[in-house]
Amino acid sequence: MSLLTLRNLSVRFGSPSATPVVEGMDLTLDAGEILGIVGESGSGKSVTMMALMGLIDSPGIVTADAMQFAEHDMLNLPARARRQIIGKDIAMIFQDPMTSLNPSYTVGYQLIEVLKQHQGLKGAAARQRAIELLELVEIPGAAQRLDAYPHQLSGGMSQRVVIAMAIACEPRLLIADEPTTALDVTIQAQIMQLLLRLQQERNMALIMITHDLAVVAEMAQRVCVMYAGQAVEVGSVPEIFQHPVHPYTEALLKAIPEHSLGAERLSTLPGIVPGRYDRPRGCLLTPRCPYRQERCQDSRPLLQAHTTGAVRCHFPLTEAPA
Amino acid sequence: MSVPVLIADELTKHYSVSQGLFKPAASVRALNGVSFSVNAGETLAVVGESGCGKSTLARALTLIETPSSGDLMIDGIDVARANKREQKQLRQQVQMVFQNPYASLNPRQKIASQLAEPLLINTALNAAERRDKVHAMMAQVGLRQEHDQRYPHMFSGGQRQRIAIARAMMLQPKVLIADEPTSALDVSIQAQVLNLFMDLQQQLGTAYVFISHNLSVVRHVANQVMVMYLGRAVEVGPSESLYQRPLHPYTRALLSATPHIHPDPTRVKIRLEGELPNPLSPPSGCAFHLRCPHASERCRSEQPALRSLDDRQVACHHAETIA
Repeated sequence: MSLLTLRNLSVRFGSPSATPVVEGMDLTLDAGEILGIVGESGSGKSVTMMALMGLIDSPGIVTADAMQFAEHDMLNLPARARRQIIGKDIAMIFQDPMTSLNPSYTVGYQLIEVLKQHQGLKGAAARQRAIELLELVEIPGAAQRLDAYPHQLSGGMSQRVVIAMAIACEPRLLIADEPTTALDVTIQAQIMQLLLRLQQERNMALIMITHDLAVVAEMAQRVCVMYAGQAVEVGSVPEIFQHPVHPYTEALLKAIPEHSLGAERLSTLPGIVPGRYDRPRGCLLTPRCPYRQERCQDSRPLLQAHTTGAVRCHFPLTEAPA
Repeated sequence: MSVPVLIADELTKHYSVSQGLFKPAASVRALNGVSFSVNAGETLAVVGESGCGKSTLARALTLIETPSSGDLMIDGIDVARANKREQKQLRQQVQMVFQNPYASLNPRQKIASQLAEPLLINTALNAAERRDKVHAMMAQVGLRQEHDQRYPHMFSGGQRQRIAIARAMMLQPKVLIADEPTSALDVSIQAQVLNLFMDLQQQLGTAYVFISHNLSVVRHVANQVMVMYLGRAVEVGPSESLYQRPLHPYTRALLSATPHIHPDPTRVKIRLEGELPNPLSPPSGCAFHLRCPHASERCRSEQPALRSLDDRQVACHHAETIA
């Protein structure tokens, strides 16, 4: 049985008839698997995960046919029981470590708070465990760092503290929302390696949300590409990067400077992501798609099984891109 | 084409940092003797991690900060010796595009008036001429003229960066400094903006100084690349050969740390331990020796000078044996 199953998840803001920000998301994840979710800003990648974590407040409306995490039905769980799971079995780390830590409390206080809440540890035992956690995320001089305030730490160190807080209760699923975007490349490499090591040691499932395809290529086993609130392509990592089937995936890959080495110009995807009020009637990519045909204008494609996984396109690409 | 429009010689900027009431002020060497030259129509990319002095360099080049020592020549004029009138002239020749187009445009000003402002201040053109120039520039950067009465919030991030580029180009500067111009943008938009930069350079012959932490972006636009570490240039050279065969261990580590779309499973990643040292108390000898896998006794005591090797300059004692 898979660890996480989302079926037909939609998120709207405002009224139930408002344009969905996330529409008909289907997602499954096995224990110990690494899934990358990529897409441009506004494609709904963060909102999907916030819906799962129960972080969408009014006026947000979350609907789904199923939202199953291990043995829990997250849709019908009372808020109290949900809070027992969130932060313990499912943990999340965010993009900017400087804003996810409270500047007024020491790192140790914030770390011990998690241990008190979920594991009932107190006093010296909690402090000891906090030091162990900081050592686990490779923070030098862990015991002294416990009494440091977030502003005394660099960006990379703060992100390590956030990771330590997230793994404090040995979660079965860790959701990392752009965990390396705010960091320098050499620090990014260190954090990526740390996440992979922790994931392997604990057989933890990991969802990496990012806009950087290269990060996904190096870390994830499966990838879900999102566009304007919909999953447009889901599949296993080396295959999708070698032979993208959806025109959007292909365009994203081609837009990366690495792809156009030696070329005079970079290949681009013209136009921008459709907004709330100018969503096309048919396939959402129609105005930007180089392969569009009549049928794309009128009917919305569904996410259908394909050789490499699943794809939402009437005319999936068959050959490798030139 | 081979006339340098921008020459920096041993450019240095020290900031003094107060350490409290009873301690003497410390000095941070944000920029520590950086030299380079950029020809018209060419691009120099400056690469390094946060805190390496890239932005201080940008501020010195745009005359926002006066360097503590060293010479800066722009378009044949020595900045330090320029009088008031010449300085005003120089400021027109060097323009800047910032990282975040959400912060660099005035949210309360229509873009027509933001674009016309450089002309209003620096030229004697009348209103109609200014409007024509604004429209021409908008067309050149791929914006629709009808949108000139809009406010910045009505545009997307990529369009805003186009507006910021248009504003910088209004006075036809000789040098454009771009400080991380695409790092706030999505991949597909980033490609559009990079293409725009390259098109404008071809049409106008502007020299670019392109500051970035992203090596793969820089590879596409740059003729020359300068890699900086803790206020010093550690490697300077022609873009392609620097990517093919990096000589300095820091350049190698940076290239190795950059994730790739098609990762090579046989590639061994060079993993840098630790972080940038505190610039208030830089390490002795080579600033990089604490993180360098090749560090020797000599690196700990003796600071390597930037020296010529093959087709580039490198500041490493062991460049020959490493590469």
